[in-house]
Amino acid sequence: MDIGAIGVYSSIFLALYLEVFLLITFFERRPAAKSATLPKRYPSVAILVPCWNKAATLGGTVESLLAMDYPKDKLSIVIIDDGSTDGTFEAAQKFAENPQVKIFQKKNEGSKYSALNFGIAHSDSELVGCLDADSFVEKDALVEIVKKFEEDQETYAVAPSMKVNKPRNLLEFMQATEYTFGIFYKKMFDNLAAISVLPGPFSIYRRSLFDKVGLFRKAHHTEDMEMAFRMHAHGLKIVNAHTAIVHTNVPTTVGALVRQRTRWSRGFLENSKDYSYMYLNTKFGNFGMLILPVGLLGFMLALYVAGYMLYKIGTMAATFILDFFATGVPVHAPTQLNLEWYYLNTSVMTFVIVAVLGMTLVAIAIGSRIAETKLGLKSYVSYFMLFGLVAPLWLARAAYDTITNNERGWLT
Amino acid sequence: MQWQKYILAFIITAAIFGTAFYITSRLDQARIADIRATQEAVSIDILSTETQFDLLGSLSCEVVSQNPVLSDELNSLASRLAVAEQNLGSTNEAVVSLKKQYSLLEIKDYLLMQELSQKCKSLKPAYILYFYSNTGDCEDCDRQGQVLTYLRQTYPGLRVYAFDYHLELAALTTLERLHKIDAQKGLPAIVINNRAPVYGFKTLQDMEKLMPELKSLSTSTPPTSDSI
Repeated sequence: MDIGAIGVYSSIFLALYLEVFLLITFFERRPAAKSATLPKRYPSVAILVPCWNKAATLGGTVESLLAMDYPKDKLSIVIIDDGSTDGTFEAAQKFAENPQVKIFQKKNEGSKYSALNFGIAHSDSELVGCLDADSFVEKDALVEIVKKFEEDQETYAVAPSMKVNKPRNLLEFMQATEYTFGIFYKKMFDNLAAISVLPGPFSIYRRSLFDKVGLFRKAHHTEDMEMAFRMHAHGLKIVNAHTAIVHTNVPTTVGALVRQRTRWSRGFLENSKDYSYMYLNTKFGNFGMLILPVGLLGFMLALYVAGYMLYKIGTMAATFILDFFATGVPVHAPTQLNLEWYYLNTSVMTFVIVAVLGMTLVAIAIGSRIAETKLGLKSYVSYFMLFGLVAPLWLARAAYDTITNNERGWLT
Repeated sequence: MQWQKYILAFIITAAIFGTAFYITSRLDQARIADIRATQEAVSIDILSTETQFDLLGSLSCEVVSQNPVLSDELNSLASRLAVAEQNLGSTNEAVVSLKKQYSLLEIKDYLLMQELSQKCKSLKPAYILYFYSNTGDCEDCDRQGQVLTYLRQTYPGLRVYAFDYHLELAALTTLERLHKIDAQKGLPAIVINNRAPVYGFKTLQDMEKLMPELKSLSTSTPPTSDSI
């Protein structure tokens, strides 16, 4: 057997192991359907909307917050213009007269955490949340999240389910499927008490959390991930409100997507270094024993597989070109296509790849059901055709940046 | 920690891999059975060739020219053999056995064509004996194979007989001796229409120069290098 293929088999085994593990987790405790019950008490909530150059989308974000089914005297919105240069502050003035809305302007400090901490300092509610200024909440999202806090007083943070807002191009459709897959993952990580990130779009925290563990940190521009790591380090509970739906805008170009994901991936690697003591440490439960090690190993193996595939395709292409010039045989289509089973590829690799793809489809289908979302053929096709091509770009970039200690900033 | 779940997930994953290995192994066994069936078919074909030869020997040249001898069987066998070699390895016992049978069939077909061309002067056979090696001593054999495959596809009347030089088969050794094939001079070696062997890689253009007979053969695809 090709020695290089052993690494590919290891990657497939790991991917399959994680999918099997999560599917067992799903069958152990299936996510409950949305109930009509309302919270017994409505705690005060401040939603921080940090924004940097979000003039185009800020209005829609704030309007979606104001339209939520939540007592107006219990909900305040804190817009923090983080040094925008595109008229974001002026756009925010539209809400200046609304008693629920407070608008602040501050100097940009190079990362989002400072805007969040600014907002926490300028609010006094029982719960504090964040909503990125390019995301939009459904009307009952906050109620669904508050119910989670009410269920367990030991819950210190709640993450929602995220969907892609109105996908238009292939890259957005690809991310729509990926986010739906993510809904399944997040819920299963919740079952395992191992949620690894509290995303910017509408994660809500008890204010007392910040007294226990401190405020947000720069954390390699992934303050939302670092906060989740820190909470696990302190044994504090994070849950997922899968019925709380948030729609978010996603990058529409490959360049923007790679930049965003490089930041996320680099953040994972750097936070992994900072919290390396949690790896394979039973004290941190499934987070330390499964999610972190599988995440890091998956990162490395994905890069290996991408490199291996690149090498294989490159070798094939080079051979084809050299043969073309050496033999003088013109490029031609095969004279016949054998569809008889004898000629089919029936290697072990084929069957295990089919198994992984099958389980991935099952996971996406479960994610769709959890979040009551419908994905079209375009979403599935673009995900399976594109994701494997673009993901190695940000993984390689993040690995390079981490090794060379290259600082890129928030969005570069 | 739910260690049982970690172990259960591992067992299920290993079982999926095990199932994949099992299915692949069963399919490989089915391929071997298919090869054995093909071997039997080859045996019948060899006998058929001999009988056909006896029959055609007494028939008119007109009938001969219309009779497709064994080219279809040869091509089908060649492609099955290539897949079997790729999946099961060139040293697999069944593969080697099939290869020997295949080589015998080729030699039989070649001899038949020789006899026919002597009997029927109107028949102008165009054939190539191609001696290759896949034991690492012939860097250009893959490329030579591409050139000859293309020629065979382009000129359906051209018969290309490919032989593994190192195959331990008495009849093949005799054929090599008859045509004075010497691997020391460098494989691949090519014999065109019974002429002296030529050694080393030959491009499509070289082959067209070496084999002017090609011009008189009908083509199934647009002609080769001249029209590129």
